[in-house]
Amino acid sequence: MVIDINAYIGHWPFRQLRNNTPEGLLRLMDENSIDKAMVSSINAIFYRNSQAGNEELSDWTKNYHDRFIPFATLNPKYAEWKDDLKKCYEAYGMIGIRMFPHYHNYKLYQDEGLEMVEFATEMDMAISVPIRLEDRRQRHWLDNVNDLPLSDIESAIRACPEASFMILNGRGFESSSLFRDENLKNKKFIIDISRLSVVLQREIPKLIELAGISKIAFGTGIPFNYPNPALLKAKILDVPEQDKEALLWCNALGIIES
Amino acid sequence: MKIDCHSHVNGRKQNWGWDNNDRLIDASDKLGIDKLCCSIPITSDMPKPDEVKICNDDVLECMKRYPDRILGYCFVNPGYEKESIMEIERCVIKHGMMGIKLYNQFKCSDPVVYPIAEKAIELGIPILEHAGYIMDPEQASGQPNLSHAGDFAILAKKYPEAMLIEAHVGGGGDWEWAIKSLRHSPNVYLDTSGSVIDEGIIEMAVRELGVERLLFGTDMTMEGGVGKVLGAKITESQRESIFWKNMQVILDKKRI
Repeated sequence: MVIDINAYIGHWPFRQLRNNTPEGLLRLMDENSIDKAMVSSINAIFYRNSQAGNEELSDWTKNYHDRFIPFATLNPKYAEWKDDLKKCYEAYGMIGIRMFPHYHNYKLYQDEGLEMVEFATEMDMAISVPIRLEDRRQRHWLDNVNDLPLSDIESAIRACPEASFMILNGRGFESSSLFRDENLKNKKFIIDISRLSVVLQREIPKLIELAGISKIAFGTGIPFNYPNPALLKAKILDVPEQDKEALLWCNALGIIES
Repeated sequence: MKIDCHSHVNGRKQNWGWDNNDRLIDASDKLGIDKLCCSIPITSDMPKPDEVKICNDDVLECMKRYPDRILGYCFVNPGYEKESIMEIERCVIKHGMMGIKLYNQFKCSDPVVYPIAEKAIELGIPILEHAGYIMDPEQASGQPNLSHAGDFAILAKKYPEAMLIEAHVGGGGDWEWAIKSLRHSPNVYLDTSGSVIDEGIIEMAVRELGVERLLFGTDMTMEGGVGKVLGAKITESQRESIFWKNMQVILDKKRI
């Protein structure tokens, strides 16, 4: 089985995406033997009232629960987000939340951001955090946000050690406390492989040496990215079959069930 | 078969983040890359001819160590005209390098680059130049002489016989802008390398420029480089052209 922890549906305002409808994403997944994907709404990032995006996502995915695992997107600075998150969990079956502190202008480890992390954790929801959605070098003139520093996630984990984090589209983990600090290393988080290498710079093998396979999960970034680079990495990674299964799906399920 | 038109080896002046050049060969073996066209550019300031020579000597050493796998680009700083021409002759004529590598010391439309272009035409070899259309002002400010597709179009128009390769469409900022800007420059090739693996990038380049102007490259993003070409919705014949045939046509044009 293959579970992609880094997928999206919806309209990206700054570039035309293909395969960004439920049917398009399913087609892309089928073509590449990806069984399930954790998806959130791109629209919800940009709507002032993100809950409207979550409602759309619920509608889009309701007929495909065997393929899509929907995640909510909410802004903790917006009115009554706790009600919205409860509804996402209870009525829409969203078992996680994807947070965008850089787009919604808050800190993950302080005030409203931390309150959302804690509230989601109380509801046993996983917290997915993309470090970026596009490379800064090609940013649209209206897309004026920087990559989220890994140190913000480290601080959030320290502030809410019970939380389960999924860190997407990240790099630079080798020097991060996430993989160097024994206390942090043992907390509940996984990272996806979408921007990490297996060969040459060997980021993934080095991270496995530092913390074991349990921290690494399969993620592509579809439909922003081609899925093939991540699939290729999973294929050429030289680990026992059991570890490959962990990467391809077990670790993803583990974090949402923890 | 795959020929990586844009790669690098470690040397005394540059370490790109791996411990040994054997890693590059191991990575290529795993990904089915048969040949890698490599250089060692100095990526800051204005390198002097003696520094440039050290870089090229280290590439030559790799060509000897990995025959049939590593091909070499001769890196030069066009600001030193006479020395650059001599270095190109040394590396290409005497030692068998296959092309010229320029970095961001000068925009490729700067007249200082003209003698380099003329030498490349004389020898029948391509010029691969670092490039980008960087949208983020902070990052753009670090490379004031970075060439973009519009600069390539200017040089290409002045020298229609030149074979120019604009580096890393996936690592140079707004790739849609870059692709569109090269529509009317048939002697500019686009290399597919870079860490950006945006879905649709290859298809747009094929649609706008024609498949014959696309060259597979990694610029050290090995899985991404191979994966984006594998993932593109193009025919197998087009994929083969990008992976190696187009670059082989360029390599076969060398006159010496």
